[in-house]
Order: sequence, then C-alpha cells, then structure tokens
Amino acid sequence: MNISRPNIFYKSVAYNGAVAAIAAVFAYSLIVMMYVLIRSSATIYSIMETGERTTILLASGFSVAYSVAIFSLLMAAFSSVVGLVTAVILKKSLLYFNPRFNFRKAILISGLTASALLTVIYLLLYTLLEDWMTFNYIETLLFWFLFPAAVFFVACIIGGGKLNKILNTGLQN
Amino acid sequence: MKQIKRFIKYTFIFYAVIASLYWSFIRPVNMNWGATSAEITMKMPEDDVISSNRVVSTRAINIQARKENVWIWIAQTGQNRGGFNSYSWLENLFGAKMVNNDLPNPEWQNPQPGDTVYYGKNQPFTVVSLVKPDEYYSLNGWTFYLQPVDADNTRLIVRYPSMEIKQSNFNAFYYYALFEPLHFVMESGMMMGIKQRAERQQKLTKNEH
Repeated sequence: MNISRPNIFYKSVAYNGAVAAIAAVFAYSLIVMMYVLIRSSATIYSIMETGERTTILLASGFSVAYSVAIFSLLMAAFSSVVGLVTAVILKKSLLYFNPRFNFRKAILISGLTASALLTVIYLLLYTLLEDWMTFNYIETLLFWFLFPAAVFFVACIIGGGKLNKILNTGLQN
Repeated sequence: MKQIKRFIKYTFIFYAVIASLYWSFIRPVNMNWGATSAEITMKMPEDDVISSNRVVSTRAINIQARKENVWIWIAQTGQNRGGFNSYSWLENLFGAKMVNNDLPNPEWQNPQPGDTVYYGKNQPFTVVSLVKPDEYYSLNGWTFYLQPVDADNTRLIVRYPSMEIKQSNFNAFYYYALFEPLHFVMESGMMMGIKQRAERQQKLTKNEH
C-alpha cells in the first residue's frame, strides 16, 4: 500500500497539470477569438454599405468563432499532454532542488523549468515548421510565440507555487 | 481547481452553442453569401472540372466600379504577385508571408494559363487554368467571374469547389471543421478587399478624366 501512494500523487499532479493546460488554452482561445472578431469586423464595417453589413458581420463572426473553437479543442488535447508532463517535471524538480520547500526558491525553479521546457518546445516546433515560421509579422510573433510562452510561463509559476505549498503541507502532515 | 474545471465546462458549452448556431444558421448563409438564385445556378467557366466529390459555394458582391477596375486586382492574385486582397494580418498569422498590394502592378496584369499562383510563401500552390481578361479568371475551378450591372457597377461572382472530401473521413473532418469556415472568412475578405481597391481605382480613374 505504501509503495502505491506516491504513484497516486503523481497521477493527481499530472491530472491537475493537464486540466490547467486545457483551461489555459481555452482562456487564450477566447482572447484570440475576440482579437480576430474585433479586427475583422472593423474591416468589414469600413468596406460594406449599411444594408449589407449585418449579414457578413454575423457570418464572418460566427465562422471565426467556430474555427477558433474547433482549433482550441484540438490544441487542448495536445496541450493537456504538455501540461501533464510539465506538472510531473515540476514536481520532480521541486522535490529534488527544493527539499525545504522554500517559496521563493520554488518560484525560481518553476520559472527555470518553464524556460527550459519552452526552449525544448520551440526548438521542436522550429525543426518541424522551419519553412512556415516567420517573425517578420507582429501577429505571428505575438500570437504563436510570445503570448503562448507568457501564458505557459505564468501557469508554471502559479502551478509551481501551489504545488510547493501542497508538497510542504504534505511533508508537515 | 474547482473554478478551473467550471471555466472549462462553461467554455465547452459556449463552444458547443457556437457550433450548433454555425451549423444551423450561419453555414447555409456562408455557402452562397451575397449571391442570387440565378447566380448560384448559373453555369460558369470550369464548372466541368468540378467533380461530385466536392462541396461547391457561390458568393457574390456588388462593386461600384467598372469591370476593368475590378479585373486589375483579380489579375494580380497570388502570394508571389499582388497578394489575395484579404486580411493580411490573418494570412500572416498562418505564416503566409503575404503582402496585399494597394497599387496595381503592370507586370502582373496579364496572367496566362499555367502561371503559378502561391497561397503563401513555401505553401501549396495552384496554377491559372483559364483566363479571359475583364471577364473571368480560374484557379482549377476556383473561378472569379465579372458581370457588369451597368456602366459603373459590377458583380463579382466567385465559385469555389472544395477539395475532394467525400471519399475520405479525414479530409471531410478537416474541411468541415476547419477549412470551410476559415476559407469563408478569407474569401469574403478577399472579395471585400477587391471591392475596396476597385472602388478606389474607379475614383482615381474618374478624377484623372
């Protein structure tokens, strides 16, 4: 029985990591959806005459929302695996490098873990999508790289802090 | 964690509502946005090459410009030419490296069958399959047809055949779930972009005279 307890805890950490990743993808997708909706609607509004605007605004708006929804569901499936792996790596790193569960050290470890994982993910993406990747356009740079990286980094810091607290409490108990 | 799970649940419900509204009310509009019954059923060049495995849309838009001023922008279609006249920022979000020219380029005004047209840099390409200046331009069935309404107004009618989807579940999923709605956004954006540029060109031409 004693041997199986740590495994259950790892399962719980992995599960929470996956759930947090799905939530992050959904939150991010809502922001992207709003951005695309507002920007495309502004263009439509400036080109189309009054009587022709409503249909295309609704048609284009729902098409954008539907595409983003489907894309975010696909990304959620992929990101849940990233979240799961990240949570397990975070737990291992915290246990190994921060045995006294110092909060500041936990935040530092979480930040470093996030940076290391981001480097691996982006190197992998660069290898797979070399021809498609471009940083010449601000939208591409922000929406595919900088913003997701920021979300991942912040999620790691918050998650790492909370995990450290749980580990510390578990140790005291 | 409870709040996070609740957020996921409500976002999922929100997305499900969007999907059902899209399929019930929006998609039927998208397929023939702006087109009249006559335009939807009219025979267009290259209709013969469209197989029954494809989903076909016909869309149209009013342009307050002579067809010659509309043609300029259709003739220079392509990432390797004057762009697609759609939302550049959205095209570049998908790595197309697109520049949509706001000025006509004389070099690109005489497209010929067999000319290569890129959708994006290092992305798939197609070829011009049929072209008649000031009347129609076709990229393997994706046809842009100009119909004069009167001396100063033109209808731009666009017929688009999807990829072969009825023999492959993967193709069908990809097409219906992602490609079709996005293609509508980009194609309607392209039609509006052509309208904007053609009407500007019309004003310039009038001022010159």
